[in-house]
Amino acid sequence: MTEEVARSRTQAAHVSAQKLRVKTSILPGVVGWLLLSLLLSVPIVYHSRYIVYLGTLLALQAAVVVSLNIVMGFAGQFALSQSAFFGFGAYASALLVRDLGLDFWASLPLTAAMTALLAAAVGYPAMRFTGGIHLALITFAFGELLRLLTANLHDFTGGPQGMQIAYTPGIVIGFDFGSARGLYVLACGFLLLCLLISIVVRCSDFGRALFAVRDDETLAASLGIDVTAHKVAAFTLASTLAALAGAIYGVFASFISPEMMSASDSIAIVGMLIVGGPGTTAGPILGTLIFVGLPEFLRVAKNYRLLLLGIIIVAMSLYSPKGVAGDIDRLVTGARRRGD
Amino acid sequence: MLLDILQTGLDGVMVGSLYAMVALGITLVFGLVGILNFAHGQSVMLGAYVCFFVESASHSFWVGAILATLAMGVFGALLERAVFRRTLGDPFAGLAVSLGLIMIVENVAAAGFTPDPRFMDPPVSGSFALGPLVLSSQRSLVLVISSALVAGFWLFLQRTKLGKAIRAMSQSRRGAALVGVRVDTVSRSIFAVGGALAGAAGALYASLFAVTPFMGATPLTKGFIIAALGGLGSVPGAIAAGFLLGLAESFGSRYLSASFRDGYGFIILILALLFLPTGLFGAGKERV
Repeated sequence: MTEEVARSRTQAAHVSAQKLRVKTSILPGVVGWLLLSLLLSVPIVYHSRYIVYLGTLLALQAAVVVSLNIVMGFAGQFALSQSAFFGFGAYASALLVRDLGLDFWASLPLTAAMTALLAAAVGYPAMRFTGGIHLALITFAFGELLRLLTANLHDFTGGPQGMQIAYTPGIVIGFDFGSARGLYVLACGFLLLCLLISIVVRCSDFGRALFAVRDDETLAASLGIDVTAHKVAAFTLASTLAALAGAIYGVFASFISPEMMSASDSIAIVGMLIVGGPGTTAGPILGTLIFVGLPEFLRVAKNYRLLLLGIIIVAMSLYSPKGVAGDIDRLVTGARRRGD
Repeated sequence: MLLDILQTGLDGVMVGSLYAMVALGITLVFGLVGILNFAHGQSVMLGAYVCFFVESASHSFWVGAILATLAMGVFGALLERAVFRRTLGDPFAGLAVSLGLIMIVENVAAAGFTPDPRFMDPPVSGSFALGPLVLSSQRSLVLVISSALVAGFWLFLQRTKLGKAIRAMSQSRRGAALVGVRVDTVSRSIFAVGGALAGAAGALYASLFAVTPFMGATPLTKGFIIAALGGLGSVPGAIAAGFLLGLAESFGSRYLSASFRDGYGFIILILALLFLPTGLFGAGKERV
């Protein structure tokens, strides 16, 4: 036990030393943002329905991974319910519009509030325990439960056949968010919002407390941090963002089904973060590009894609636990150290 | 009314003993090596396929079930040797690796066996009357086999030397190593025994339900709920929680609402985590 504590402390020291080194140079960050904005502008410039479709899909997927990073990368909690909340958000928004006659935009805050309540109710019992094992187990079970319930409640959700979504976000201040390009702008805007939130969290006291919780819960508690409350808050925030991404996905795909909540999707999202690099800003984006973007461009059949991704997850977690972003970081900082 | 309750109760016990078989592997692997093995459900699925293919080749469910048990025991030991040994002491790496394994095994199975559901003829069919009760023969057989296996496993833990070593290691890995338990061998054997139980459960699942490459998720989910409900690492807790979950599901879906069938266990779990954080008997590791 003492061994583990000592190891996690040296790890923490190592991580913070690395962060200091990174902070000495803003160049990689600037290059990263330039590359991202270049990437995001491609579907706006390039006139192809397929590219716009793929861009929207990637942006929404990346937003979910960015939100997972808040709970898994920052707070070190293994949440396996991202796709469940993604699906929940899609259904919640769709049902609010269909049954209560709300506008799409008006359904978003309500969806967010419902998700936050649900996430806190699921997260609190699990996160009273030290370590993240209970959360992993309960969020996995919760995801399956939500999927089965959605499939079983025929009258309400349309059952396993799913639901058609007929409405669009409509025209707001002269801009048609219902068109393919409008939805792309909406998805990108949401991705940037998630990135902004994750950066604000990272730089705030709240974020620093999360890092402390991740590195050593006992130490964090002894410093006066309410460990459980911080973990629950991070989980709730991540789940809410995932649900909003789901609501946008609903109007984009105009069809939602319980399969959106499947466990393998949650696992894939965790895989994207592991591959990209948990705890880093660029990691979720890189992970999404590798996971979804590459196979899409290489046109790999779905089964083989997931197989390939499984192999990547195993290999990365065995040999490169800091992910691609960590590797790049090491290359950059290592090169600079040699240059000094 | 009384008959109905009895019938529902028996059904719950049958399902519960199946759940318990899967949960034992999860809770013991966690108790011994600290890894939450998500790939455990895949052993159930592969066991079901082994049983299905052997049964269709040899026309004997029993040969199929025994081969499924043995094959999954070997599979568990191989997984430990190839993957999980490298993640000892890092529970999150172990968890992440097992997630990757789910995707690998599931999709190889989907590619190799096709995603179409397959159905197997149960070894016994029809039903028989026990006094005023009418029982399905196959379900009763499953109840008998799985209860016997769970009881046998319990005896194995209590009476054999390896069982004693497993119990010692689940209390303290270092303490067990100090008194001469070969912790490596015991870790591997628990993956093998847990896998074998999952394989046997897979064979029994195959005799009741459709066999598909994605059938592993449900037993895994139930196994997780039971392992947490019984207290992670606790064997008696897992057995009791298995029966409790089975009963809750059958009574809940009979008398409350069938479409919420999978929700009852989860609600019990949430309540248990709030009010009994160390599991049913307080036997699980507190603050794991």
